[in-house]
Amino acid sequence: MTAAEESISNRPTVPLEAVGPASVSAARSRLPVSAVALIAATGVLVVAAVYTAGRLGHAEAWWADLAYWLGQLLILIPVAARLLSRRALAASETVTLVVVLTVAEYLVKVCYSPAAFTYVDELMHWRTATDIAQTGKLFTANDLLPISPYYPGLEEATNALASVSGLSIFTSGLIVAGVAHLLFVCVLFVLFRYVSGSHRIAGVALLLYASESLFQSFDSMFVYQTLALPFLGLTVLAVYRLAARQEAGRCIGWFIIAALAAFATVVTHHVTSFVLVATLEVITLGALVARDRRLAAWASTLAVVSAAAFGAWIVFVAPSTVGYLQPVAGGALQDVLAILAGGHHGVPISTLNGPLGNQALSAVATLIISVLVAVGWWQVWRRYRRQPWVVAMAIGAVTWYVIVAVRLFVADGSELAGRASTFVFVPAGFMAALAVIRLTDNSLRQPVIRANVRWGAPAVVAAAVVVALALVLNGLVNGWPPYWERLPGPYQVAGAERSVGPEQVASADWALEQLGPHNRFATDEGDMPVLAGYGDQDTVDDDGYLYTSLAVTPADVQRVQDQFIGYVLVDRRLSEMLPASGQYFTVDPNAGKYTRPLPLAGLTKFNHVPGVARVYDSGNIVIYDLWGSAYYGP
Amino acid sequence: MGRSQTDVVATALVAVLACVAAAVGAPAPAMAVLGIALFAAPGYLLGQLLLDSRTTGLERVVVSAVLALAVPVIGGLYLYAARVPLHRPGWLGLFAGVIFACDVALLLRRRVPPPGQPAPATTRPAWRVPRWHAAAFAAAVVIAGCGVGLARIGVARQPQPGFTQLWLSQQRQNAHVLSLGVGNDQGSTTSYRLVLLRDGRPITTRNITLADGQTWQQSVPFSGKGTLAADLYRLPDLAHPYRHVFTGRAEAAGP
Repeated sequence: MTAAEESISNRPTVPLEAVGPASVSAARSRLPVSAVALIAATGVLVVAAVYTAGRLGHAEAWWADLAYWLGQLLILIPVAARLLSRRALAASETVTLVVVLTVAEYLVKVCYSPAAFTYVDELMHWRTATDIAQTGKLFTANDLLPISPYYPGLEEATNALASVSGLSIFTSGLIVAGVAHLLFVCVLFVLFRYVSGSHRIAGVALLLYASESLFQSFDSMFVYQTLALPFLGLTVLAVYRLAARQEAGRCIGWFIIAALAAFATVVTHHVTSFVLVATLEVITLGALVARDRRLAAWASTLAVVSAAAFGAWIVFVAPSTVGYLQPVAGGALQDVLAILAGGHHGVPISTLNGPLGNQALSAVATLIISVLVAVGWWQVWRRYRRQPWVVAMAIGAVTWYVIVAVRLFVADGSELAGRASTFVFVPAGFMAALAVIRLTDNSLRQPVIRANVRWGAPAVVAAAVVVALALVLNGLVNGWPPYWERLPGPYQVAGAERSVGPEQVASADWALEQLGPHNRFATDEGDMPVLAGYGDQDTVDDDGYLYTSLAVTPADVQRVQDQFIGYVLVDRRLSEMLPASGQYFTVDPNAGKYTRPLPLAGLTKFNHVPGVARVYDSGNIVIYDLWGSAYYGP
Repeated sequence: MGRSQTDVVATALVAVLACVAAAVGAPAPAMAVLGIALFAAPGYLLGQLLLDSRTTGLERVVVSAVLALAVPVIGGLYLYAARVPLHRPGWLGLFAGVIFACDVALLLRRRVPPPGQPAPATTRPAWRVPRWHAAAFAAAVVIAGCGVGLARIGVARQPQPGFTQLWLSQQRQNAHVLSLGVGNDQGSTTSYRLVLLRDGRPITTRNITLADGQTWQQSVPFSGKGTLAADLYRLPDLAHPYRHVFTGRAEAAGP
């Protein structure tokens, strides 16, 4: 027994024999984890080479996509095969495999934008971090994400590292985000292992967690949630330890850790803080169901502490949180109520976007997880219903079906469900892992398999690996970056990262230097994050009318005045290409309906509007100054 | 003392060295290594203080690392409340302060082992990795590093269409002075002719040659009456303006 196992054995929650391996094979694997790491690193290299090929003009080549998926399979197959294999696997090997998977996928993400942040959410936080670095103060204004400065944990940690190490904000941000992502995965591993009593279940649960569509992208990006997640995880781990301890002296240390982690969560991200409180309440419920008073007491105590800290933060520091979250939560709630009342329901975006194959894979993956969670519940009922943590996981896994319903029935529910999946996949992945282990073990015990173990056992494991791969590949296929910018490449209109180029950055830098920060700007979807992030400008979302109308109308004038637009950034390429994302503008009523690019006359009309100044011209990008023009004058 | 105090000495040394390195302007690589060590040290020490000896392995590493991230998150708020600017001196002071405080607390605690708990063992079983496994892991790190390096090379070598910036805008400090500028990002040295026009008539013509990445800028007085415009030609083409900017005018007409 290793030291770590001894540590865990202080309070085993689940009898190990309940999840013990079937005795089909316990031999060592011929594929050591070091070889798995080597193959995964080769996969990273292959993906990096494909990204480079894409940048050099081969993004649309027939072989480019194939090579990308080859690289991904080099990362995924050995890890999945070893985690699901019946061969003996030590706890240290299991955690190494999980770390290899997490790090490799993070490096793939880094290779996509290795020189600067290009994703809109990362630019939001880069802005806040840069403002803190320049002013030395917290809570500075951020037009791109006004709530961000009021949850400055990520930017504080990044600035601290950048300041004391001399590294850039970008490099420091990559380090902080990458370490935070890895730590969250490791905290989950420790928790799953404690809860299940099996490092094998913990490993498989993490493999399934990696199938969550944001695992490789949003969850490891330079965004505030990435840092808040390990704080949340540590708080929950501390609850586990507090409930396990008997000596008062030992409780103090873990209680301080829990309080620090909970407060750090509150300072770092609003939604994660809310989820922390909800998680602790679910754990309390699970403990009450399983009649574990000690756990219920600690979980409810820390739920109260976390809720009080979150409430105080909202009241005294970030009152705008309510206004920021209310439209999203309120809109979803209204849709749900409308459905329950027999009214309309929206058409989910996920069924409108993407190639048919992607949608089919998404549907299959949803079905598989739904079945696995149900089988996991059955396992809980049969084996673990007196285990408070497993019961809490089972209760939490209900949210899986809630987000499936939201995705199917709530208008624009895909984004909400996608964002929620980071949290929902924790209990759902654990339930699914219980099911996968049970199904494979049961299959291996079938007489027909035992009678033909040489081919039967590998076939069962291979089937499990194929299912796991299908789930993880679904996460990648339907995650970020989307299919239309899977590989980096030449400029695309409204193409997210592929809309970020030197000319856009130069125009944003010019705007900040010459015009100053926080000017009200009209711009398109592709230029918006750069202009607002690097340029620190206050961009308008609903401004498509300015670009689509061929002449100045009284209605346009009124809207410009209402929106207080001072400058218009016009990219001529809007008249040359269709938008890669399906929409030219952040708020675009014609999203997905464009069949031809915007008319050039609508973009150049500003040259002929009396009083409009053409203040900047870099060829593709022109900036107009509307102050003192017909938009504001008689 | 019941056990080695190497960690206490090492963390204190890191704090001192980092502060000295920052004060004397140490080379970037040294500052980076010391800075990362300084960033991580408080988490390690808090882990030593708050966790008992039974917490080992992955759990101890994870808890310490998360605490290391929590220190600047919570400490930054403290600095802000104390009106200390969140710049290098402030962060150095925060980390060094936490390190020294934790070091003192650790020293005091280690003098007297908690009652009922045996003094922690000074040695732990060595974690041995076979050589070829270690070599494979090292090779994996090198290969993955090469991947990131290759991606960075790809960004640097990505063909990007060159462009030239021309601007004519009011200076923020003085509304009666315009800033006229040219920026060359064509990828090579480029020659231009800049023609400044008042109410459509040329008043200044200037030939400019700019290296790649170089900018040229000039202040232009402007009363607000009439119209100023600037045409930039990319030599040798003098027939078609390459870039065009203008101030607001009563009846505008442009390309």
